Amino acid sequence: MSNDVMIYANDLSKSFGSFRALDKINFEVKRGEIVGFLGPNGAGKSTTMRILTCFISPTGGSARVNGHDVFDAPLQVRESLGYLPQRAPLYLEMSVLEYLRFAGDLRHLSPDTFRTRAKSVVEVCGLAQVLGKEIKHLSHGYRQRVGLAQALIHDPPILILDEPTSDLDPNEKAEFLDYLKQIGEQRTVLLSTHNLAEVEASCARAIIVSRGRIVADGPLDEIRGKSGRVRYVVAIQESAGAGKYRGRGALPKKGEVEDALGKVDGVKKLSELPTDESAHAYELVSEQEVDLRPEIFKAIVDQGWVLLELHRDAQTLEDVFRSLTIGDERRNRQLGAPADGGADDEEDEEDDEDEAEDSDAEGSAADEKAAKEERS
Amino acid sequence: MRNIFIIARRDLRAQFNSPVAYVVLGGTMLLLGVVFFLIPHISGVLAGSFWDVDRATMDQMFASLPLFLSVFVIPAVTMRSLAAEKGSGTLELLITMPVRDSEVILGKYLAALAMVLILLASTLLYPIAMFVWPWHLGALDWGPVWAGYLGCLCFSAAAVGVGMMLSSLTESDVVAFFMTLGALGVVYAIGWIVSVWHTDNATGSTLIDALGFISFQTRYAPFARGLIDTRAIVYFVSVTILCLLVSFRSLESRKWS
Repeated sequence: MSNDVMIYANDLSKSFGSFRALDKINFEVKRGEIVGFLGPNGAGKSTTMRILTCFISPTGGSARVNGHDVFDAPLQVRESLGYLPQRAPLYLEMSVLEYLRFAGDLRHLSPDTFRTRAKSVVEVCGLAQVLGKEIKHLSHGYRQRVGLAQALIHDPPILILDEPTSDLDPNEKAEFLDYLKQIGEQRTVLLSTHNLAEVEASCARAIIVSRGRIVADGPLDEIRGKSGRVRYVVAIQESAGAGKYRGRGALPKKGEVEDALGKVDGVKKLSELPTDESAHAYELVSEQEVDLRPEIFKAIVDQGWVLLELHRDAQTLEDVFRSLTIGDERRNRQLGAPADGGADDEEDEEDDEDEAEDSDAEGSAADEKAAKEERS
Repeated sequence: MRNIFIIARRDLRAQFNSPVAYVVLGGTMLLLGVVFFLIPHISGVLAGSFWDVDRATMDQMFASLPLFLSVFVIPAVTMRSLAAEKGSGTLELLITMPVRDSEVILGKYLAALAMVLILLASTLLYPIAMFVWPWHLGALDWGPVWAGYLGCLCFSAAAVGVGMMLSSLTESDVVAFFMTLGALGVVYAIGWIVSVWHTDNATGSTLIDALGFISFQTRYAPFARGLIDTRAIVYFVSVTILCLLVSFRSLESRKWS
């Protein structure tokens, strides 16, 4: 294990009764990396983070944080990391400054160090306006910032953030991701979320967990290619409208187009995309690495049709995420299925969270679509 | 060691930042005054008002203090220490700071005990106001007063321990309040049964002796009369340690559940 490995998990397992929340997961996070820890609710994200922060113990395997074992040296582990649990559970009756001072005291910062550190985290997290306010009077966004500030107060080399953006509105999210980039310049950050757009915005690497196992781990591009499917979008002119038709022969009929495209070697699946009267648009799915665009182009030219659009889509992270973790949700909805093992006290909230996740996923899908439209 | 005081200081401040501390302090002082001066003798429960005995003594106050501590003060003071933190999740943030579980337990215990001691200290106002300034109702023998306070201290130490222990077993402060109230109430009731038995029967009984042995009330009784009973001190300290150990284990059990 080199010095650069800041977080190291080896065969980490955790069972809650008969429910396996984590099943022998292995991963490493190196110095300076910002890693997105992805997965549906109940996949084991929080459980992993709680093990890494020594809040709970694994039932099997070992983990090291900054070179310290979570079993043998929990205090050293905690000293070297800043942790923000889900929903930033802070003492509501304290003021922001009191809370930061309390965190600084427990981290044994001298008054001078505290002053300089507090100044810097207040600046980074944008807390200057609310320092004297009681935390219970702050919005979720500000509470999250205070949570982040307490995690940063001792300038830790490692940050572990559990769904830091789940309660934030879109503006706050964007701001938070900005902080994260600033903060993450010299630090190792492990960030759990189920919002894929966030990972794409802030992380270079992602680990996807599902049902307590790691199903993908690597740079985002590599993960995008993970499912091995490539999508092509083809649009062929259907009617010339007021302009002049540039193709040979008659305008193509729907059946003819489907026939011709279906015959292209390597096409696995063909589905029509919604368009107006002017074009036939299809989505082709291939499982081959080879670029099929020349073949598609040739098939269309051979027919003498007019090609309006042809592009190859790498899989979005969202597609990969869905294909890798599908089934989890269904399992969660089954009667008598085990709840999130990581948080047995939050069973009631599970349903809400599922719904939140759904809307999140839809939201980010919509976002992506909008972004794509802008690009094209 | 330092962490214990940091945690205790925060907890104590939190008590005073919420209405709990003021309700407990104000309510107890008021009710204690009413009981001490106005409520007549009820066998085994209340020793009668100060005027009934017609002597310069604080015995009546010390006889009724454990009842206040058991059914009101200690459940209210300890209910939040662990249960509320577990419920709201703040415990996770506290424990993932570089602190030991034992430091968390001791810090919270000291904060709760300090709160009770503040209350006991404010009851000193009664003897001072009655016998020193502004009134002089007679020459008070201060020896039994200090013995009484020592008894209250021991009693509180053990009772706060019981409250902590029960607070560590649940995630709701309301449940913690009523469990502590129930537990201390039972322990108090046992003492009451024993003392009623002794007033009514001249002869002893093994069962009653055994009950008296585990009752806080019986153990505390000598102090209220001005006797310092070292066996009782050992008993209260043992109960405290036992309860703190159970709380510690219960906090630790989160790791394995």
